[in-house]
Amino acid sequence: MRGGQSYVSCPPSFSNDGNRLLVGCGNSVAIFSTATALQVSSLEGHTSTVTSVVVVPGSNILNYCWTSSLDGTIRYWDFSLFECIKKIDLNLPIFSMVIPSLLSTPEESSGKKKNVYAYVCMQTENGKDNKPKLCTAQIRKCNLTNYNKLSKLTLKETKRPQPLTISPCGNFLGIKDKRKLHIWKIPKVDSDSAVAKKITLHHTKTFSVLAFHPTERIVAAGDVTGRILIFRGFGAQNFQENGELLNRTSMTDEECKPGVRENDDAESCSTWHWHSSGVNLLSFSSDGVYLYSGGKEGVLVFWQLDTGKKKFLPRIGSPLQYFIDSPDPAFSSISCADNQIHIFKISSMEIMRSISGIKPPLSSQEICESISSQAAFDCTSGLVAVQTENYGIQFYSLFANRGLYEVQVCERNYQPVDEVTVVVTMVELSVDGSMMGTVEVKLPEEGIGGLICLKLWNLDSDTKRFSVSTLIYEPHRDAHISAIAFHPTRHMAVSSSYGGDFKIWVCREETQQKGQTHQNFSWMCHAVGNKAMRAAAFSADGSVLAIAADTVITLWDPDKNELIAVVGETPSPIGRLIFVGKSDNLLSVSHGSTPQLSVWSMSKLAASWSYRLEIEAVSCALDLSYFAVIALLPKSNERVFKGDGIILVFKATDPTPIASWSVTKAKGGSIAFLKGNPSELADGKSSQTLLAYLNGDREYVLFDPYDKEARELNMTMQDDLLGVEDNGGLSLLLLLFFRSSF
Amino acid sequence: MEETRTKTFPVKPKLKTKPRTQQQTPESKYWSSFKTQQIPKQFPIHSITYSPTPPHSFVAANSTSLHIFNSKTLSETSQITSFTDTVACSSFRNDGRLLAASDLSGLIQVYDFNERRRLRRLKSHTRPVRFVHYPRHDKLHLISGGDDALVKYWDVAEATQIHQFNGHKDYVRCGDSSPVNSDTFVTGSYDHIVKLWDVRVRDSSKSAMDFNHGCPVEDVVFLPSGGMIATAGGNSVKLWDIIGGGKLLYSMESHNKTVTSICVGKIGKDSGDESNQYRILSVGLDGYFKVFDYGSMKVTHSMRFPAPLVSLSYSPDCSTRVIGASNGMIYASKRKVKVDENEKQIVASEGSSIWRIRPLESTEKKVLKTTDFRYFQRGQGEKPSEGDYLVMRPKKVKLAAHDKLLNKFRHGDALVCVLEGKNPGHVVAVMEELVSRKKLLRCVSDLDLEKLELLLAFLHKYCTVPKYSSLLMGLANKVIEMRAEDIRASETLKKHIRNLKSTVEAEIRIQQSLQEIQGIISPLLRIAGRR
Repeated sequence: MRGGQSYVSCPPSFSNDGNRLLVGCGNSVAIFSTATALQVSSLEGHTSTVTSVVVVPGSNILNYCWTSSLDGTIRYWDFSLFECIKKIDLNLPIFSMVIPSLLSTPEESSGKKKNVYAYVCMQTENGKDNKPKLCTAQIRKCNLTNYNKLSKLTLKETKRPQPLTISPCGNFLGIKDKRKLHIWKIPKVDSDSAVAKKITLHHTKTFSVLAFHPTERIVAAGDVTGRILIFRGFGAQNFQENGELLNRTSMTDEECKPGVRENDDAESCSTWHWHSSGVNLLSFSSDGVYLYSGGKEGVLVFWQLDTGKKKFLPRIGSPLQYFIDSPDPAFSSISCADNQIHIFKISSMEIMRSISGIKPPLSSQEICESISSQAAFDCTSGLVAVQTENYGIQFYSLFANRGLYEVQVCERNYQPVDEVTVVVTMVELSVDGSMMGTVEVKLPEEGIGGLICLKLWNLDSDTKRFSVSTLIYEPHRDAHISAIAFHPTRHMAVSSSYGGDFKIWVCREETQQKGQTHQNFSWMCHAVGNKAMRAAAFSADGSVLAIAADTVITLWDPDKNELIAVVGETPSPIGRLIFVGKSDNLLSVSHGSTPQLSVWSMSKLAASWSYRLEIEAVSCALDLSYFAVIALLPKSNERVFKGDGIILVFKATDPTPIASWSVTKAKGGSIAFLKGNPSELADGKSSQTLLAYLNGDREYVLFDPYDKEARELNMTMQDDLLGVEDNGGLSLLLLLFFRSSF
Repeated sequence: MEETRTKTFPVKPKLKTKPRTQQQTPESKYWSSFKTQQIPKQFPIHSITYSPTPPHSFVAANSTSLHIFNSKTLSETSQITSFTDTVACSSFRNDGRLLAASDLSGLIQVYDFNERRRLRRLKSHTRPVRFVHYPRHDKLHLISGGDDALVKYWDVAEATQIHQFNGHKDYVRCGDSSPVNSDTFVTGSYDHIVKLWDVRVRDSSKSAMDFNHGCPVEDVVFLPSGGMIATAGGNSVKLWDIIGGGKLLYSMESHNKTVTSICVGKIGKDSGDESNQYRILSVGLDGYFKVFDYGSMKVTHSMRFPAPLVSLSYSPDCSTRVIGASNGMIYASKRKVKVDENEKQIVASEGSSIWRIRPLESTEKKVLKTTDFRYFQRGQGEKPSEGDYLVMRPKKVKLAAHDKLLNKFRHGDALVCVLEGKNPGHVVAVMEELVSRKKLLRCVSDLDLEKLELLLAFLHKYCTVPKYSSLLMGLANKVIEMRAEDIRASETLKKHIRNLKSTVEAEIRIQQSLQEIQGIISPLLRIAGRR
């Protein structure tokens, strides 16, 4: 079971009746209902990322679409029946595809069926000479109706793949290439050999996006500095055909072309400047009266094309990517960089619904020393809580593959263009999922005014949402918090700091008043040392608290605040501690120059076994004595394992792994054992523990670590983005290599 | 998701920690909702009595006169001054028309309350009479007790003594009649004994029941059920069960000095669990006024007055409470009563029925024309009917001036604006917001001299407050660093810097002494922890 894909990797597309939204989502096309913003179904078949979705226009009952993918195929689907009708294999990754002939209205219905041509931006073929090519992408034409091979004709070669833009009536095709716009006029009667006429428009800045006017010869282009250029009457000279009558001024007065660079073929060029940084989104309204633009600042700007007057839809809260008009004039969709697609009403300029994907990881990893990108899992309900850029926590259902809700941790408005000064650095959930702890850090300005704030949240049993119960300013003076751990059964939390102390927070009493519980937290005790405390963990019954003090593990009685024992010594500081299920084994992970994964026996108070592995994340099953780790592999081994990381499942007493899978994008990943999906239980499957792996890009996969079939299944999907793959034999070799000597 | 996007977040000061002590209970909130007004008099106020009938005027005895007060306005309306000696006690007849008063010469006088005319003189006691009382359900008789240890039962109309009870061995200072029975009453004496008398028993020395309080009895009251009495004397208030044969139920000993007066009061609140419950109110020479819940045997409220208190009375309509002090001060307290909507309507309808404000002919609706400005407001006051779907106007977020300025990115103005205000929490909150916008130092460097003075004054006042010091200490350093030249140039700013310096030095001294204390304590703690 996979999920967490990006919904904004390519522009989405509305169905003809406007009830469905087709979103390229990883290797499939997800079909959402615009009325509920829930996923209806998906089109499966592509083996790599889908790069464009083109719905065949027509009447409402027509439900066909073309899709292109990086796997080098173009497919034709009936998306009401969810089946693939046709598959064209171009063998080279396709970055973008447009089909102009679908848009131009067929003038004469001649008996002979016209060929449908697509223009694709694809990777260049490797020439016979194995010279490294300057240009990696080319724009080619492709006959979709009866495909034999690609036409020889190459319109353009570019260094980097550029998205193709087509005019709404299908006459023009354009790309941006650095400081130039290339525009082709598509021949009326297209054939393999028909050559499109081309003009080029120049600018002094790098273009970022372009859009064509639906009826007139106007092209709008945005650049990286936030300017929008409107070229009117482009191609008046070059695209003029003999039979065509232009109701424009004659070509004779060439001297009055305001704003147009010397030899460019356009009648005038005007510049609008509102955006402070690059323009990502440009789109004309379907009647051509308005131009929509958007950029990093998360504000959708409505320009009146004739007057240049502006209206705004502010505070969308994330950089905008694509704007798609629906056939239904009431609403449109905006795709945002934070993996959300908003369906919004143009008339009232308000967002009606949001399709919410998992939010991308924080971009500001380096800004704060104590930041932890680890997501928190709620094992029983299959939720994952991830930090978001807008100072919140998103709760994402792994089983349903959609965002449930968000809580705002820090009451601030988020502006994507602003410098980051407040970060939610940590989120932790208790075992039963009823409590949450978050840490937010306000960064100081030149050393003054920094603030660390620990918040404890309670789950409201009615609404199933978290609300703040306790707010603690500067819990460890100005030292950053390194870990939060919750008592498995009681209302008790522990926070440890790099400043060398830890505090136990106890919910004092619950006074029932007017049917609502008031909880008072009081910190019970703290222990101080001069070593940085980097990790904390409760044992399964909550009787022992383990705190990592630099390189040793200290064991405490959380009720009496007494030191029970000090265990062992690792070569480098311990960064993570976890008790393995109900067994008396403790797992420690240390990073640094000599990374180590060690298992300590609590009955003997000594190390049982250890590996010299760089561990990214660990998780243990609640009621089992198994645990899973993500180990990062050294660069030299990446080839062998087809990934940069490996998931290993161990039994606590045995240093030989039970199972292993190699994965990609393991850096920043997290792992967790989840209780089986309740919906699957109904199907008669046993309630089994699932392993969830969330990679660095927050895509995830759920699988059963004990099921043999699942492992074989994973074998077949090795070229996949997540690339979960079983390789028991290899990993054993590897582990032997990393085995520490005792 | 949508809600959070459109929200504007005003800057908020940091939350304060909750106090560990209990919050005010609804009951103590009720008792402290009385607003006290001081009425100064010359001599101790030995007795305060409420009229049992509305409007519940009250009478305070002060020296040789009785002062009559209106309980609505707490203002003195008239006096009765025809006494030859200090007035000791007074009592209203149950219809409020007659008032009996006794003085230290032993004379008891009965007045017509409305006309303040003397009707009868009852003369029999030879020593001061400190207790006179009209039985609750009896208009004809009067009870009195004097320092001659005698309790007398009078026929008021005839002005003759019907009966005399002579069981007490010391001054009789207090008493009360049963609220359920017109024949029984209690008297308390300085011989520590409270006696329950029955006028039907003609044996003059035999009481129906005796209660030994253990101290000279200062006051005694029947509780509304008539089955219990409360006695005050010494530091304690004791509860006795009459029906149960004179058993001591509870002894409340929370006063520090002699309890001088007690009375029964009702919590006159319409809502809440405690409404219409009875409490014993007590005052003592320690200046405390206490409220005792005899259901749960707990003191539910306590407040202090700056003088020894000697008398107490609580109005039957629960709206006022009067306490007399030994220095002649009357603490009259009145509760703010929110008039109910219903009552208002009743009052309004009554008013209209009297004055005929509502003309009958205007009930026909006039057709509004565009010349009338109400034409443009028609329908705006329409109330929604039950089934209507309400479209709520979104709640307007009230933004303070500094928030508005921050929203307009006028950071410097916002800082100045909040510095001119009084709330240090808000100032710090704005500063924190500026820090997170990385604009604070820029603002500081752009402040002109007058505003800089404001900032320095603020820093001087608050930079050592622990709650704010982490930010303000750093800021103070930066300010002095950045604006050194301006400060050197201006004399007033130099003065502020001197102040700041002395504050910081004082703080350093405090810190040092605290560290010394810590040094003393920490070995002790360590030893204690080892065990």
